[in-house]
Amino acid sequence: MRRTPPGTGAHASKPRRGMRRTASLVLLGLAAFFTALSPLMRWYAFPRLAKIPPSQYQAMVLEARPATLLDYGTMKARQVPEVTIVQTLKGNVAEAHRVERASGRDVVVWDALSFVAGPDGKMVSEIPERYVFDAHSQEPVHAAGEMVDGDPVRRSGIEYKWPFLTEKRDYAYFDAQTRTSAPIHYKGTRTFHGLEVYYFEQTIPWTKVPLPKKMPVKGITPEAVQKMGTTRWYSTTRMFWVDPVTGAPVNGEELHKEELRGGQLLPGGGKVTAFAGHVKMRADYVDSTLALVKSQRTLVLLLTSYLPWGFLALGALLLAASLHLEARGRHSHSEDPAQPAVEGVVSGGP
Amino acid sequence: MRALTAAAIGLAAALALIFTVTAIGAPEGRTSPEPLLTTVPAHP
Repeated sequence: MRRTPPGTGAHASKPRRGMRRTASLVLLGLAAFFTALSPLMRWYAFPRLAKIPPSQYQAMVLEARPATLLDYGTMKARQVPEVTIVQTLKGNVAEAHRVERASGRDVVVWDALSFVAGPDGKMVSEIPERYVFDAHSQEPVHAAGEMVDGDPVRRSGIEYKWPFLTEKRDYAYFDAQTRTSAPIHYKGTRTFHGLEVYYFEQTIPWTKVPLPKKMPVKGITPEAVQKMGTTRWYSTTRMFWVDPVTGAPVNGEELHKEELRGGQLLPGGGKVTAFAGHVKMRADYVDSTLALVKSQRTLVLLLTSYLPWGFLALGALLLAASLHLEARGRHSHSEDPAQPAVEGVVSGGP
Repeated sequence: MRALTAAAIGLAAALALIFTVTAIGAPEGRTSPEPLLTTVPAHP
């Protein structure tokens, strides 16, 4: 056994022991800090920090190539090379603050517009919406101004986006055309551009829906069409590929069909396709959406996984280091020549 | 006793940090001046 030379070791080991003790306590404090931070980050901070910013602005372009459109001149359907749907979501910060004051929740107000353009770029239909929802949970919040195409609505379920940490289950999804919610079914996990995503599908059977407030032909109003007894019907199958971490769709498609039926415009109970097509996201918007989702996904994973697990591991390491230092301190304490129990051994040495 | 104090200080610091960060939150920003689009954006 190595022994400390008499007259020097006893004095030198005392400050060293004190330093070890202090270091051990500092490490213990840090271990407690990081270990506590781990669950706090995941279960306290994440639900409060993860939210949709109220000022978000996002545009999306979808295309149906080819598509069927109604020629209002002849009242006959014709095939066209493409129909484009431009969807814009714009966060209204002032309205969000107003609703927040009334509801006491973090709220996002999206003013949205679905603008459908024919092959010549001219308007086929134009449906504005106001969607109010909880910034954290995506639950709808009911407030004055919530509407679809000027009609007040009371949404249930989700629209446009899934909640953070999306689950493998069916959700209620709001359909703007019918102004109602219906289940959107989880149909399995897929890989999309290298990203693991959840695939959801919703089918809306043929349903009578309101005519748009803005018709594509000048002079024709929805009231005039209604007076003639002609009705508008709609059916769709919508598909979404959703990143389960952020809840953001990275791809969307729709098998969209619209018909005008009966009345004086289509006598004898006739019907004509107003718009039909397989609508898909334009490739450049798929790329930009993927890039956005991937960056946001990293932030969410930081709060839910990387930091909590990292802090837990760091806490365990620091605790181990603290215990090690403490044990070394005690060990050297037991060998300390200054202590009466060992002093005789040291003084009786060679 | 010292060990308990050190652990309590660590825990209190963690709580203080988390409460501060969540209280500050994320910046809200302003409503975008960009319009709701009624034209088809060109291919990049």
